[in-house]
Amino acid sequence: MAEQFEPKITAFVCNWCTYAGADLTGTSRIKYQSNVRVLRVPCTGRIDYMMVLKALHKGADGIIVSGCHPNDCHYTSGNYHARRRWMVFKKMMEVMGVDMRRITFSWVSAAEGARWAQLVNEVTDQVRALGPYTAFRQVVGAGVE
Amino acid sequence: MSRIGVFTCHCGENIGATVDCAKVAEMCRAIPGVVHSVDYKYMCSDPGQRMMQEAIREHQLDGVVVAACSPRMHEPTFRRAVSGAGINPYMCEMANLREHCSWVHEKGEATTNKAADLIRVLVEKVKHNEPLHPIKVPVTRTAMVIGGGVGGIQVALDIANGGHKVVLVEKSPSIGGHMSQLSETFPTLDCSQCILTPRMVEAAQHPNITLMTYSEVEKVDGFIGNFKVTVRKKARKLDEKLCTGCGLCIQKCPNKKISDEFNEGLGTRTAIYVPFPQAVPNKPVIDMKNCTFYKTGKCKVCEKMCPTGAIRFEQEDELVTLDIGAIVLATGFKLMKTDAFPEYGYGKHKDIIDGMQFERLASASGPTSGVMKRPSDGKEPKTVVFIACSGSRDRAKGVPYCSKICCMYTAKHAMLYKHKVHSGKAYVFYMDIRAAGKDYDEFVRRAIEEDEVKYIRGRVSRIYEEDGKLIVMGADTLMGGEPVVIKADMVVLATAVQSNDRSEELAQTLHVSYDSYGFFAEAHPKLRPVETNTAGIFLAGACQAPRDIPETVAQASGAAAKVVGLFSNEELTREPIVAVVNRQAAPVYSTCTGCFLCQGACPYQAIEQEEIKARDGQILMTLARINPGLCQGCGTCVATCRTKAIDLQGFSNEQLYAELMTL
Amino acid sequence: MEAVIRRAKELLEKGEVKAVLGYAQGTGGVRRPHFAKRPDQVDKLVLDATCAQNLAVYATKHEVKKLGKVAIVALPGTQRALIQLMAERQIRDGEVAILAVDGAELKELDSAQGLEEHLALKTQALDAKDKAKLAELEAMSTEARWAYWQEELSRCMKCYACRNSCPMCYCEHCTMDCNRPQWVPVASHALGNLEYHMVRTMHLAGRCLECGDCGRACPVGIPVHLLTFSAEETIHELFGQRAGRKAKLDYALSTFKTDDKESFIR
Repeated sequence: MAEQFEPKITAFVCNWCTYAGADLTGTSRIKYQSNVRVLRVPCTGRIDYMMVLKALHKGADGIIVSGCHPNDCHYTSGNYHARRRWMVFKKMMEVMGVDMRRITFSWVSAAEGARWAQLVNEVTDQVRALGPYTAFRQVVGAGVE
Repeated sequence: MSRIGVFTCHCGENIGATVDCAKVAEMCRAIPGVVHSVDYKYMCSDPGQRMMQEAIREHQLDGVVVAACSPRMHEPTFRRAVSGAGINPYMCEMANLREHCSWVHEKGEATTNKAADLIRVLVEKVKHNEPLHPIKVPVTRTAMVIGGGVGGIQVALDIANGGHKVVLVEKSPSIGGHMSQLSETFPTLDCSQCILTPRMVEAAQHPNITLMTYSEVEKVDGFIGNFKVTVRKKARKLDEKLCTGCGLCIQKCPNKKISDEFNEGLGTRTAIYVPFPQAVPNKPVIDMKNCTFYKTGKCKVCEKMCPTGAIRFEQEDELVTLDIGAIVLATGFKLMKTDAFPEYGYGKHKDIIDGMQFERLASASGPTSGVMKRPSDGKEPKTVVFIACSGSRDRAKGVPYCSKICCMYTAKHAMLYKHKVHSGKAYVFYMDIRAAGKDYDEFVRRAIEEDEVKYIRGRVSRIYEEDGKLIVMGADTLMGGEPVVIKADMVVLATAVQSNDRSEELAQTLHVSYDSYGFFAEAHPKLRPVETNTAGIFLAGACQAPRDIPETVAQASGAAAKVVGLFSNEELTREPIVAVVNRQAAPVYSTCTGCFLCQGACPYQAIEQEEIKARDGQILMTLARINPGLCQGCGTCVATCRTKAIDLQGFSNEQLYAELMTL
Repeated sequence: MEAVIRRAKELLEKGEVKAVLGYAQGTGGVRRPHFAKRPDQVDKLVLDATCAQNLAVYATKHEVKKLGKVAIVALPGTQRALIQLMAERQIRDGEVAILAVDGAELKELDSAQGLEEHLALKTQALDAKDKAKLAELEAMSTEARWAYWQEELSRCMKCYACRNSCPMCYCEHCTMDCNRPQWVPVASHALGNLEYHMVRTMHLAGRCLECGDCGRACPVGIPVHLLTFSAEETIHELFGQRAGRKAKLDYALSTFKTDDKESFIR
């Protein structure tokens, strides 16, 4: 039987909310699928769209970008700027034909341990169903690297 | 080439049982740049830290990755350990193998591989780490306490006695809070106001404490050690310097029928009033909404009567901005009201009251002077039913938590009732009896054994009125769920403790986290109960979670200790995780183009203009510069900058790129 | 046109400006930029429907700044670019004399404030052909759009003509040239082309003047202007802000509203 495709998920999370929320998931021993690799940044405001592009470059099939709920940013407004950035980035990516079902933006707070697990599971299942992101991999492969 | 050491912790069984730590250590040995990779049972322990320090010295490591629990847990621990071995603490990073790996995945190859991936990401980051040095910032050694209840008063006194200035801000006209409304406190049955008012007076007279009553915090700018707080001093309509507190205005005010907040709606007050006779400061306030003069333009009796001419009808609110070094939140709680209970009549029955209303009935300075009279007709209630857990521990009411204080005050209320009405019958419907404090259980036993309060384990499904009596329909679960119907004269609901009104708004003003119930979030539930995640802002009392008086006072002293500790140095040392705009030699000077698109992105106004001048004084260009004293290290400006002229120390572009490219 | 030439000569004769920048006849029927440094060089200036290039791109160059104050014959695209450059502090108020040309109308503007007021009276609309193409793209499926851009970008050879022609691409140290870290591969393979245009589009979002120079400059005919137009229109639809309107910076991506509405964040 062919080996089931396991998606590669890269997650960019903010230190104060989603990272802490993911810590709470751990403290609460709630289990979720292990495909995700979390990268810590101080704030969603720090997340450059070029990082998302590099994640796709490196073969991520799915990406999660997550931070504090609006009004609760540890740095007051980083997530508001991030939100605007993502709104514009998402539209641009859609215009270029990138499959934005693979990129999930979310707000997960430090108290939402169960929700983080739920989100990771949902995204992992969703991306698994979409399959590997071959269209992008072809583009990467068409280069010298 | 880097010389990196990887230390994989088993954390006992926490990581070791799910992740193959030895294998992970071996996999890490193969990463280029890693010269030392071991696993160990408890890295954070003394021997663990010492082992790491020895390894740093022996193998001349210049970077360390500790693969263990969350960096939010132990990053400071390991950074301290690493600096003890002689290398810069910021050359140490942590990989989260516990909260993000072993605790959330099943044992297996995939989990071990994930652990190795997580470490590899941090190894690549550390290769680009730079030694960073703490930033020194001056500290304003004045504290602000928001909330003038027993908690806030205790914090203010402790900080003031510690030798520092305190500003105590209270939104109502007097300090005292809910404790001043209580008649007697458990488990001693001390008269509440008798033990509180000396403290209130001490706070008012203390040379280091400035009281700002009838005031609210409107805006908070700045950061730890350097807050700028704008307080709105609401207009009392009084010249406080002239008012002597004689009370003549209150006696003469013709508008006497306003529902009294201090007496929880059971009594009335005048339009110009002090909330209670022992109010501190004992200066009245005019209730603009109900005052006849403001509504119709006629009256002004108080102004005519005032012997010192202190009344000022035209007085406006005043906005005051203060320099503050630390803030303590002690804003307390509110009780759920009886109108939240459809099964008990939506609060329409005057004789179904909440715990605080009972306190006012029992209080010697209350609307009935402490005589047990039921609110509807003033008759003495012969049968009183007390219902514990009204609203608490009830998901349907949106309050799944326990309100902590109700079991104790219900026992107290039943006892007080029995002391006043010897022949009366007191029933308590309970789910559990939570009497965990010192002398608490003995107190409840006294109620049951000495004062003959009848405790029935069960809930009340409905109360309705019939022939002037309240029919209470409950059940006795210890008798197999047998229905119990009591014809009561009065029912006291021990309603749920909730976060105070507008606590969410206040939390947002201070940039402090709060939970879904509006209670302020502590930095760590076990080990940091008096701090918030916002540096320089501390918590005390029921604004964090339901709490009784001894615990509130203890926590208040704890918060005060934190503030005094913060103020023990003239300068504060700040984490160097700040953004920096690059500077280079002439003629480039910087890759910054001086467009200042970044300025709007900064929540702390930390981006300034720097003029680069030629030797003759001519301005060559104006570049962005980040004030390291103000920058909090969010990195929003870094992501906004097109040329990446700004970078964030500790989470730089090179570091994040390296992390990403290794996945 | 006569009015422009007259005024240009006047400015040079009086020494009020060191050069007048406008358009001149080039080869093959194309108009090219013309720097008139003496009154006799002014006669070469022409102004007609084929003049399209955004001349504001020269206002930020060292060579032009070294001359001193210059006058620019500014068509609408150039006007918008000039005010945006002032908002982004690349041109100082009074550094440029603006000979604003709108159809047959000529207005001389000397300050950022004046330019802002002038622009407030003007409307800005996308060319019908571009609008139609954008609508066509909008109607395509994700895969069709991907295929379309992969096809178009396959011709890209990283000549950077688009970047060079854009007045808003004034950064002397462009991210695309940075190799530590190398966010965008320099090579003109599929990935390098894709990422370059994606990042450039994001850099122009909220700053694009919709002059169309980038698309015109591309030697292999890739409609790159559609990408930046789309981003600029997105910003306008979502946040109501537009580049090239105000003398004070109003950049959508460094401002925010607490109730910015979106429906995709979980």
